[in-house]
Amino acid sequence: MKRRDFLRSTAAVSGVVSGAGLAMPRLARAQGARVLRFVPQANLSSLDAVAGTQYVVRNAALIIWDTLYGIDSKFEAKPQMCEGHEVSADFKTWTFKLREGLTFHDGERVTTRDVIASLQRWMVRDTMGQKIKASLDALEALDDRSFRFRLNKPFSKMLFALGKSNAPVALIMPERIARTDPFKLISEYVGSGPMKFRTDEWVPGASAVFEKFAAYQPRAEKGDWLSGGKRMLFDRVEWKILPDAATAAGALQNGEVDWWETPVSDLVPMLKRNKALEVAISDPFGNIGSLRMNHLYPPFNDVRARRAVLMALSQADYMQAVVGDDPELWKPLPSFFTPGTPVYTEAGGDILKGKRDYEGAKKLLAEAGYQGEPIILLVATDISITKAQGDVTADLLKKIGMNVDYQALDWGTVGARRAKKDPPGKGGWHIFHTWHAGADCVNPAPYTALDAGGDAAWFGWPKSDAVQADIAAWYEAGDLAAEKAAIAKLDEDSFANVTYAPTGFFLQYQAWSKSLSGVVKAPFPVFWDVQKA
Amino acid sequence: MFAYTIRRIIATIPVMATVALFVFSLLYIAPGDPAAIIAGDQATPADVERIRASLGLDRPFLVRFGEWVWHIIHGDLGTSIFTNLPVWHMIQQRLEPTASLMVLTLAFSITLAIPMGVVAAWKHGTWIDRAIMVVAVMGFSVPVFVIGYVLAYTFALQLDWFPVQGYTPLSHGFGPWLSNMVLPSLALGAIYIALIARITRATMLEVLSQDYVRTARAKGLDQRAILYVHALKNAAVPIVTVIGIGFAALIGGAVVTESVFAIPGLGRLTVDAILRRDYPVIQGVVLLFSFSYVIVNLLVDLLYTLFDPRIRY
Amino acid sequence: MSTTTIPVRELTAADVTAAPVLPDVLPARRERGAVMMFIYRHPTIAAGGFLVALIIAMAIFAPWLGTVDPTALAPAKRTRPPSELYWFGTDMLGRDVYSRVLYGSRVSLIVGFSVAFFASAVGMAIGLISGFVRILDAIVMRIMDGLMSIPSILLAIALMALTRGSVGNVILAITVAEVPRVSRLVRGVVLSLREQPYVEAAVASGTRMPKIIWKHIVPNTLAPMMVQATFICASAMITEAILSFIGAGTPPTIPSWGNIMAEGRALWQVKPYIVFFPAIFLSVTVLAVNLLGDGLRDALDPRMAKRI
Repeated sequence: MKRRDFLRSTAAVSGVVSGAGLAMPRLARAQGARVLRFVPQANLSSLDAVAGTQYVVRNAALIIWDTLYGIDSKFEAKPQMCEGHEVSADFKTWTFKLREGLTFHDGERVTTRDVIASLQRWMVRDTMGQKIKASLDALEALDDRSFRFRLNKPFSKMLFALGKSNAPVALIMPERIARTDPFKLISEYVGSGPMKFRTDEWVPGASAVFEKFAAYQPRAEKGDWLSGGKRMLFDRVEWKILPDAATAAGALQNGEVDWWETPVSDLVPMLKRNKALEVAISDPFGNIGSLRMNHLYPPFNDVRARRAVLMALSQADYMQAVVGDDPELWKPLPSFFTPGTPVYTEAGGDILKGKRDYEGAKKLLAEAGYQGEPIILLVATDISITKAQGDVTADLLKKIGMNVDYQALDWGTVGARRAKKDPPGKGGWHIFHTWHAGADCVNPAPYTALDAGGDAAWFGWPKSDAVQADIAAWYEAGDLAAEKAAIAKLDEDSFANVTYAPTGFFLQYQAWSKSLSGVVKAPFPVFWDVQKA
Repeated sequence: MFAYTIRRIIATIPVMATVALFVFSLLYIAPGDPAAIIAGDQATPADVERIRASLGLDRPFLVRFGEWVWHIIHGDLGTSIFTNLPVWHMIQQRLEPTASLMVLTLAFSITLAIPMGVVAAWKHGTWIDRAIMVVAVMGFSVPVFVIGYVLAYTFALQLDWFPVQGYTPLSHGFGPWLSNMVLPSLALGAIYIALIARITRATMLEVLSQDYVRTARAKGLDQRAILYVHALKNAAVPIVTVIGIGFAALIGGAVVTESVFAIPGLGRLTVDAILRRDYPVIQGVVLLFSFSYVIVNLLVDLLYTLFDPRIRY
Repeated sequence: MSTTTIPVRELTAADVTAAPVLPDVLPARRERGAVMMFIYRHPTIAAGGFLVALIIAMAIFAPWLGTVDPTALAPAKRTRPPSELYWFGTDMLGRDVYSRVLYGSRVSLIVGFSVAFFASAVGMAIGLISGFVRILDAIVMRIMDGLMSIPSILLAIALMALTRGSVGNVILAITVAEVPRVSRLVRGVVLSLREQPYVEAAVASGTRMPKIIWKHIVPNTLAPMMVQATFICASAMITEAILSFIGAGTPPTIPSWGNIMAEGRALWQVKPYIVFFPAIFLSVTVLAVNLLGDGLRDALDPRMAKRI
């Protein structure tokens, strides 16, 4: 009751404040409000990074909502909303305490009730959350600022789970919002992060506006990705959705926007020549291209047919089609894991190295019983990365004597079609393409695409008991050496099974105006500590 | 005429109902899935299924259509599946930019094209005629996005006269609004300049060869009077028809123009909504399009009677 | 791959529509200087017809004009500028733009001519019916209104979602959008013509309807129809390009001027030739079709003919 009354009074107060705020923007603009104009990779169509896993949605959510822990640039989870934690020696009891002075954008204080409701919603959707939920005896509040997980199995990766950046992210929302069905999108965008979302200024498909949250109290440490002090040096961050690459390039050259998240690589040489612009690799962890086959139906239910594709697949062709001429932007990837990370291994990846063997592939296909039936290739032609991969695959399959039925579709249709387990001739499919952020391919926890649990696995439904055993071994690994061993085995078994076909590792550029300082390399745009001269 | 107007307005209801049902069933058969898009690339198949159920997308066609109609009757266009914003709100946000683009495009086209067509017909067969027609034909032999890029490159990037992209609401001043809209309106207008100039020329030629015009000419009436009083007035019917017809086509061109110049208009809203299968938004926008189309064409038909009293209703 | 090669036979629609050029040229053989006379009298028909014939020939003989497989990828040789080896350069996937442009003419011509033919035929029939049969007029025109109020782009994307991108769907989507336009035009002409004294006289003297339509109405609608048909043909080619721009056009496995331009458009500031060559070909073709239409209009118009 009390809480509700309080809520009402703060609502009234915030109403007054926002009423005053209405007159503000024009005044503030006149006095030269600090505004950052940012062109995101895609349209921001929703804002729920728990119910959905789109990267652009996650990027926006990370500005609005804060997390209990946050990963830094070394992928280590550091306390963020939490002051700290205690963990029992057997990794079964985790106790956390919130920092003081945390408030939501509506003025409400952040309490453990909000935290527990948020975590409960998140645990339903997230792979790591589900692991926690499976062995959860209780998730309980000790007081307004302390809460505790009691598990019946050890779980050593708790901090990473709470602080990881890949969606579903463990975002802390007010209890009333966190009560939303985890499979439904939230409709109120109130967080406790460094910026407020201006729902009234949101024009989906065109622009989104974030406004500095005055009551946000950044941590004392220096900001580092999702950890440390998230100091906002802008009053407003305006996202401008520019779906046309030529237009986005023009807007950046003309100074109409400050920062373009994903410039087309062929335009980069031109942007680099412009003295007012800075161009650099955005995310050192890059992306892994993926050719995904349907393991349920012939010919790709036979591992020999899948291996035939791998034998003939030229990653150089795929990568050049995807990122262009710049050799700095891609490398071959005889692995399922992100190069440059601690557990990286090329175990089992020899099949992707050396001269491509078309004749061998044809022979293997014949052995697998392939007799020229049409291979249904779903290609999302509205997304340049999937379209380029699809075009190369059509050429590749032709070279190994397969009969291709290239289906030009939009991403919405591919998303629906790939979920169908029907036979390829009856509404199903044989191959589709996508890509995975390298930051998600550092270990099996966020890496749903590598799971080989058959019916429950990701689209394509690969099944391999060996792969599943290797994933379990990683979860149980106590130190880096054990993790490395488990991952090497997992890589080898995944190649043996051809869970999917990696088409290479590629990086993307970001471009920004030289008047900005503090832009960092990260798997997501980091807006704190960036300022404009 | 008044009764006719009323009848026509009442007749819009079946038109809109047909369009709504047609689009709804088309979308229903189409395999796209908003749940898969919301879930994102990494979601598991089971998650996608749950999301679909929570959106109510697994219910039968008639139930969904009936529910939607029920809401429409109560003046509610529904809420977007993705943004959870009311559809009417999303349409309102986008109305001004698209309306501005269309009005300016039509204004540019008519003021440029009708004199071009009249002069070409008057000087029929001469080099003036040919030159005008070649210029007009250029307008629609190049796709709108190529014209847009060339205009943006020349007048925004090189000469820096206008911004490359964006939209400034009229409430922020006429100057800024116009400077953002000049290039898009010209790009989109090129095809209408060509179209209206051609039709004007063709119908003017027709009218000029009619007996009464030849009689007027023979009587030595002032050339300009013949042109304005007889010819242009009679040529008005097909010209008005073309403008009415052009309205629906404008929407198609607007989609591309809005993308090239990043104008937050209805065209882009529609394409985004179709690509994402945001059913309530598509439905709302299509209803709006068919409604405004019907109204525009009603006006066109009423203009017929104004220009050509021989046509009765 | 079966989907990549376009059988030459499919060009029948093109042949049909191009046919009207021939009767004009044939009599010229009889007399010396008649060809020159024809060109002198109908310079637009001659120029337009010549260009259209040239492009049709280019489409038919594409395989023998120094082209390579227009769909063969070579990502290592991507975005090469025009040279002796690649006359028009290569695109983002290393395909030869010259070959793609030549083969692409087939799709543009098929789309343009098919849409012009189907839309004119269907639109004319509907326009005549609704112009003459008062009872049907209201109903037919309301259905046309309904169809026309759905933007063709929306329809094309919906059709693509329904099945998938194909040339047939592109033709269907553009035709559906054009039919109401033609029928409105024809109806407008009919409405105005039937009030003409000679038509009223014919009706009064008991001439049967089909005869009136055939003798008085159809010939008078032909001239505006011809202008309209050339416009439809030209605009269909442009619409094909726009649909490719939106991503709902010809599937990427079949080169068309539209999708060559759509694929190269992001790079047009740095690699303009990918967009430039198909744009030039498209513009010239559209220009030629329009010249032909203009010329035919002037030549076919009975009153104009009398004067000559």
